[in-house]
Amino acid sequence: MNCEVCQLKELEVEHIEVREVLRCILHTILFHRALGLVRPKDVDLELFDITYVQCGDVEHEKKINEKIDHFIDRVEKHPNKKNQICLSFYEVKNKQATWFTNKVERHYWEQWYINLNTVQHPKTHSGKSHHPKVVVDPGETASEERNARRTALESSLREVLFQIIKFVNEKKDHVPPIPNLDGVSFPYEITISSSSDSAFGMDMLKRMLQTGHPTMLS
Amino acid sequence: MASNHGNTNSEPATNEQIITEFFAKSLHIILESRCPYVSSRNYSGEQVLSSPSSSSSSSSIFWPRDKWFNLALKDCSAALENIDFWRQSYLEPMVVDVVLVQRSSNWDPLNCSPKKALVRNLSSKERYYWNSENDEYRNEVMSEKIIERWVVEYESKKCSNIGGGGGGSGSKRWSSTSSHTLYKKSTLLLRSLYVTVRLLPAYKLFRDLISSAQIGMYNLGHRVSSFVEPFTHTEEAEMQRFVFTPVDTACGRLCLSVLYRSSISDVSSEPSTPMSPQFIPDYVGSPMADPLKTFPSGPLPQGSPSFSHLGRRHSWSYDLYKASPPSGIPSPSPSYSESHATFAKPHSYRLPPTGVTCHLPDETPQEHVKNTNYDEYSPSPNFSMSPSPSPPTYTPGIHISNALKRSESAPVSIPAIRASGIPPLFYNQMLPPSPPLRPSKSSLAKMDCRSTLLQAGSTVDKIFPFGKDEAGRLTGVKISSNSSPQKSISRSSSRLSFPDDYDESEFSGPFVVDEDDMTDPGSRMTI
Repeated sequence: MNCEVCQLKELEVEHIEVREVLRCILHTILFHRALGLVRPKDVDLELFDITYVQCGDVEHEKKINEKIDHFIDRVEKHPNKKNQICLSFYEVKNKQATWFTNKVERHYWEQWYINLNTVQHPKTHSGKSHHPKVVVDPGETASEERNARRTALESSLREVLFQIIKFVNEKKDHVPPIPNLDGVSFPYEITISSSSDSAFGMDMLKRMLQTGHPTMLS
Repeated sequence: MASNHGNTNSEPATNEQIITEFFAKSLHIILESRCPYVSSRNYSGEQVLSSPSSSSSSSSIFWPRDKWFNLALKDCSAALENIDFWRQSYLEPMVVDVVLVQRSSNWDPLNCSPKKALVRNLSSKERYYWNSENDEYRNEVMSEKIIERWVVEYESKKCSNIGGGGGGSGSKRWSSTSSHTLYKKSTLLLRSLYVTVRLLPAYKLFRDLISSAQIGMYNLGHRVSSFVEPFTHTEEAEMQRFVFTPVDTACGRLCLSVLYRSSISDVSSEPSTPMSPQFIPDYVGSPMADPLKTFPSGPLPQGSPSFSHLGRRHSWSYDLYKASPPSGIPSPSPSYSESHATFAKPHSYRLPPTGVTCHLPDETPQEHVKNTNYDEYSPSPNFSMSPSPSPPTYTPGIHISNALKRSESAPVSIPAIRASGIPPLFYNQMLPPSPPLRPSKSSLAKMDCRSTLLQAGSTVDKIFPFGKDEAGRLTGVKISSNSSPQKSISRSSSRLSFPDDYDESEFSGPFVVDEDDMTDPGSRMTI
């Protein structure tokens, strides 16, 4: 079974926006892969006029929040970098470990790459106005810029969500049979890499080689 | 799966049931997020608390209908009341129009004079939108605009059989897995639908309606029908289309698409045709006098026997929940959905299935189209029901009675006589049952209320009495059986059944795979 890969559109986000953006994207993907019995939970974003859907599993919500916290800590330590969060779904092919190895073979059948360019915009302008006669409120200008940027980000975030919907609709054959489990049906893992990492990009390439001939969808 | 052995004969029936339930589920998903009337009662009639913004994830109560596609939804009476027709035949497309009802307080002398005579003729309908206290026409004008059109349809085709013929073991094996694949893909599609309805602009209006306690200028209504008038070129150019990837089956494919207005604010600013006050017979009293009154779907015509033409279902629903004047709703304008979007492309809407002829209407002026949509419920003494499944040719400008012939039938009051038949068990797989058609006490009350308001309901019932098939399901909607026998699909003998003492705890889910090598919960998730 081939591994289907989806590279989501890159989003430029501020640090305060990271949590909501990641929760929205990760939960939307997970909801599409929670093929067990679920009672969906609608969540309204605070920073954006978007309602996304969770599968309603408290355990998974907690795990995702922990991972996002880890990502935010990393971003705060290394701001203004491009980061990539990979959500991978896999099947366990060899559960029983042999006497010489405990490694369990995982066969990844789907990978989602969330590309975030985290930036930290200055809150106020420090430069002088080019027109001394014109009184410019730096705070108001920065606020307008932020609003415009946030509106653009909201539009981009919607595009990403529709990208997810489109991918899920177009690629169905590779999804394993629905297991007899409630909520999230398939095991998954979330990994983080940033442009500063030596493994950034190589990690993705490595996974691609491990899983054979992935289909790239950009 | 071992249970597949020897069960290939019932494979088509399984697929049939999946498709039928897909229609029901998709309608539920759409109306749940578009119908402002939020039922406070669950299916059994017990009252539960439901939050419109989020559902409790801790609830462990799952009804049988929740098991279908593993998606437990909030109760939506509008969906339950409107799906009966498609439970009988999924070969008819299901078109769900979401309508923005606008209330304008502008004095429009141009519209005053023509309506004055109409107002006087309304008699009992004067209460709807025209203030009868004064002889003068009040300023209140209602107008409507279709902001979304969802189409769910099953495109049937000649059944294909891999292996070159029936009866071979290879073909049996393939067909035995097709139901599982169909179910899985349908489940995925419905997940996407659930997410999509919340990303479209109309969802914001819906949220404003259910959150606002004031009666204002906007309302959301819906219409569920199998036969609608296509949009004009102009209308369609203003809308975007999103097409979900169809799910293929052995004998056809499930299709789901939506035409939507990307900017609701533009809709509100456009002059739209004032609707005829006859269009909303449900409405009793002015909105200001009874702001909290809600109405079930399915307004009935006033004494006209003509709306059950072809047995097609059609229901309108309006609710008095107010929507705040829509602010600029950001257009989703998804770049990826635009690949499916068609702009300014005339879309002749879904023709009746094979064997039924239909003449597409010519392009009509927008205003005329709107009047047609709303006047079709008015009683027309000139209308004579045609026994033929072929609607007559629609010509612009012709009296609205002709529109009645072409349009879907007006909703018939669903009588309280609903059987509690449970589908028969299909071999030894525990497929979730189709929800029994027994009404809850609340729905009975609502139906009684509706029939009280709409006397035509009883009239229609007399002319088209409901019958029942072996499973006790209503077949009254299939009046068309005598005219379009190919549509009358009797599935009572091949439906699934469940014991009456259905035990949810024993339910293992449809088409699930109990694999021993699946990861245990402890290692399922590695973060």
